[in-house]
Amino acid sequence: MAKPSLPNEFNDLEPFAGWALPTERERNHKRINSQMSEIQALYDTMVPRMGAIMEYLNKLPIDGMPEDAQRLFHMTLSLAEVAPAVEFYQQPRVIDGFPAERFIPIDVPDMTPT
Amino acid sequence: MALITEDKHWAAQYPELGTDPIPIEPCLSPEYHERERERIYRRVWLNVGREDELPRGGDFFVKDIAAVNSSILIVRGKDGVIRGFHNACTHRGNKVTRESRGNRNGFVCGFHGWAFGLKGDLINVTDEEQFFGLDKSSCGLTPVATDVWEGFIFINVDPKPEQTLTEFLGDWGKALSGYTFGSMVMRDRYETEVNVNWKVALDAFQEAWHARFVHKRSGGEAYASKDNPYIHVLQFKLYPLHRMMSVPGNAEFVPTPIQICAHQFGKSYISRDGSGEGLPPGVNPTRNPVWMFDSNYIFPNFSIFVFDGMFFTYHFWPLTADRTLWETRTYYPPAENAGQRFSQEYAKCALRDTWLEDLSTLEDIQVAISSRSVKHFMLQDQEILVRHSHKVIADFVGDE
Repeated sequence: MAKPSLPNEFNDLEPFAGWALPTERERNHKRINSQMSEIQALYDTMVPRMGAIMEYLNKLPIDGMPEDAQRLFHMTLSLAEVAPAVEFYQQPRVIDGFPAERFIPIDVPDMTPT
Repeated sequence: MALITEDKHWAAQYPELGTDPIPIEPCLSPEYHERERERIYRRVWLNVGREDELPRGGDFFVKDIAAVNSSILIVRGKDGVIRGFHNACTHRGNKVTRESRGNRNGFVCGFHGWAFGLKGDLINVTDEEQFFGLDKSSCGLTPVATDVWEGFIFINVDPKPEQTLTEFLGDWGKALSGYTFGSMVMRDRYETEVNVNWKVALDAFQEAWHARFVHKRSGGEAYASKDNPYIHVLQFKLYPLHRMMSVPGNAEFVPTPIQICAHQFGKSYISRDGSGEGLPPGVNPTRNPVWMFDSNYIFPNFSIFVFDGMFFTYHFWPLTADRTLWETRTYYPPAENAGQRFSQEYAKCALRDTWLEDLSTLEDIQVAISSRSVKHFMLQDQEILVRHSHKVIADFVGDE
């Protein structure tokens, strides 16, 4: 299996590269099927690095990042995904929540004006 | 700034609404639901989206609306005008498009190849010489009244609407005009089908009090404060059909580490930018510095939640008397960098989880009222929007 790579400065985050998932459904699926210890580890590792990560990513074009930066960006979106699990619920799923599987994301159309 | 804390003063301002419990039967009865469809949904303006979903000439989307038994095709012409049609071939009624959205120069029915232009005109009939005196000019797609307010596209399936869209939105529309809806783009969108009457679903969002309880883990503390533990609102305003409330935040709320990140890098949903300088008079009407958002309820089934710098909408579409399609759409200024997109993603995930909390009550409520173990909804003063909503609906539905 080809090892996913992150920008050099963020090599230490490699153990969490499995969270570099491009869609909300994939990130939410991984969250609700992970152990809380795995979620907490991602959170604890990523939060202190967020300043440096965004300083790096904000210099890149938002829709044309190199692949390694894109992966790092997707990991930050996974951090956004797991944040409620850590900060609100202390468990992967919403406590007493409606099933996430029934709450369906719909593709947002391209609304670029011409 | 002090909040209005006088007890039960809203009912006194709107005495015509009374203070009695309200009946559950309208949330159960298939017969009542039929009358809602005929006397409300087939007669009033319904929001189906925003014009920025159709940036180019030839862009279209389809909205199937069970409550009016119709598939509605919304198209932007090459002339820039947005038009609505029944998505039904005038030959024998097949849909002229099966796609939910796209870009076309026209629509060709897959049944026998009748072709229509973007203005609905019938352009081509195959094997035309076999018809009997066919007048193509009278066989265009059936138009649906369509108009746009502040970028929001509304349709009305009544062939002769009793009111224009501007008349229908009335003073509520005037109060909101000028908010920067057009500077924001749709960032995310969700749909869910819930086994609940559409009014029960709508009512879950027509008061702020529940946030202290339903959202006690996810955000209640951002609203409930020591001074205002049950989130009494800054203002309710009732219009003949529509209604709004202005909701305060907790000035002493301490954001979580990720919320601090999100506010640092961009715009999230509970960042507090101040008192809303530059907002139109109808947004944050009390100009209170603890203001968090206004929620607006446009009769019958559309809501716009307006924050300083973002907004989201809800649609509650009745499918049957006890089944509802609920849609959410969230809008932000376009993200210009990764940090801003992260902030919006956090808001999306946190809001989504908050909505899963809201949704958790709905099917249980429908079961409880179906059993008739709960015979009325008991409403207090801070639930006056629920009372108003049921009254407006009942006035339209009338008696048998």
